[in-house]
Amino acid sequence: MANPWTALYLAYSIVWLGVFVYLIYIHMRQRVVERDIRTLKEELHKHAK
Amino acid sequence: MDRKRIFAVLLAVSLALMLLTVYLAMFYAPLPVMSVKTADGLLTSLEGEDITVAGFAWNVTARMLPSIPEAPPPQLFTLLLFDFSDFERYSNAAQAGELDQPWWTVQPLLVHIKAGGQVGGYITDPIMNGTNLSVTAKIWAPGAYLDENPDQYLLVARGAGSVEVAESSSAFSLVTAPVAQKIFYFHMPSAWVSYLGFFVTLVFSAMYLKSRKPKFDVIAYSAAELGVLFATLALLSGPIWAKEEWGVYWRWNDTKLVTTFILWLVYIGYLMLRAAITEPTTRARVSAVYGILGFVTVPMSLLSSRIAPLLQSGHPVVIATKGGSLSPEAGMTIGFAVIAFTFLFITMLIKRVEVAECEENVEELKRSIGGEE
Repeated sequence: MANPWTALYLAYSIVWLGVFVYLIYIHMRQRVVERDIRTLKEELHKHAK
Repeated sequence: MDRKRIFAVLLAVSLALMLLTVYLAMFYAPLPVMSVKTADGLLTSLEGEDITVAGFAWNVTARMLPSIPEAPPPQLFTLLLFDFSDFERYSNAAQAGELDQPWWTVQPLLVHIKAGGQVGGYITDPIMNGTNLSVTAKIWAPGAYLDENPDQYLLVARGAGSVEVAESSSAFSLVTAPVAQKIFYFHMPSAWVSYLGFFVTLVFSAMYLKSRKPKFDVIAYSAAELGVLFATLALLSGPIWAKEEWGVYWRWNDTKLVTTFILWLVYIGYLMLRAAITEPTTRARVSAVYGILGFVTVPMSLLSSRIAPLLQSGHPVVIATKGGSLSPEAGMTIGFAVIAFTFLFITMLIKRVEVAECEENVEELKRSIGGEE
């Protein structure tokens, strides 16, 4: 790369981006699980009735 | 404090540590003066190999040597060879009056060229300031044999004529990319944390096989997923450094790179295996065995650059047993980076395990509801 600082920033960005993308991925999975739990609770509630 | 708040606090601390790592890497850790290659013994590992330095001549002096009958008149040229790839930086620095900075991509090499006389070889065009030259020479490390100065390297040219390049380590820096070397402060902790993740997988896989507690399987799986994440980050950031330092993104003949790539593939296989098996007990048992067997790739990757030059690797060794060492500031920065990444890993692992456990419970609940119906 023409400017060595570009390489440095690119590498740092990749690491930060990777961490944040994974955190978002975990967050989304958690939301899916929470939604599933809500649905299951509702189904159980209906089932009990 | 509920779980979500604890995680938020842990994450905030982790990210603050990461930001502090960036600050230390950018503003506290100094630019290395000595070449990474010199420091990590790459030149020794490449001993006997040819390298070519193409560049332009500067400060050329020529003098006639005593002539020998029936031989072309011998001449000795002495010059500094600047590498082409460094020309832009050189000219910029020259304009800014900063030519004394000791961190050229390729530091100028002092070259002595003998032409004519008994050594043979003609130089048809005169060598002047600005003349383009290409020096191909073998790397020789006499210090490695004499046990005197392991950092002393010579370039000994082959072929017609005689080109000798001799410098001490302080001046002999073949390819130094000091700015890009700061990538190391994120690259190495990423690799370390991936090894840690795979070690956690090993331990909890073994614990699962012994006790058959589903929690251990969840931890092993979560750690492997995080290990793959950080191994990916190490595999992506490393080639950016390699491009600056070596001139290429990847070298398939480098044991460190190849073994780390194999390690990554093995754990990608672990994740794929888990995705392929739906029955929870079988999945846990098979992946626990895989997690234990797969760990053999970790020492392979970890130790591959340490047993160079027995196995060829140009990958730097961070904590070397001999020769080369980090400056105290660089050592502190990398130490801090390792702590920050480890803290981040633990934080993410806690969250990942929590989510994975919830997922397992939901799946089990779904199965039992489906079974009842």
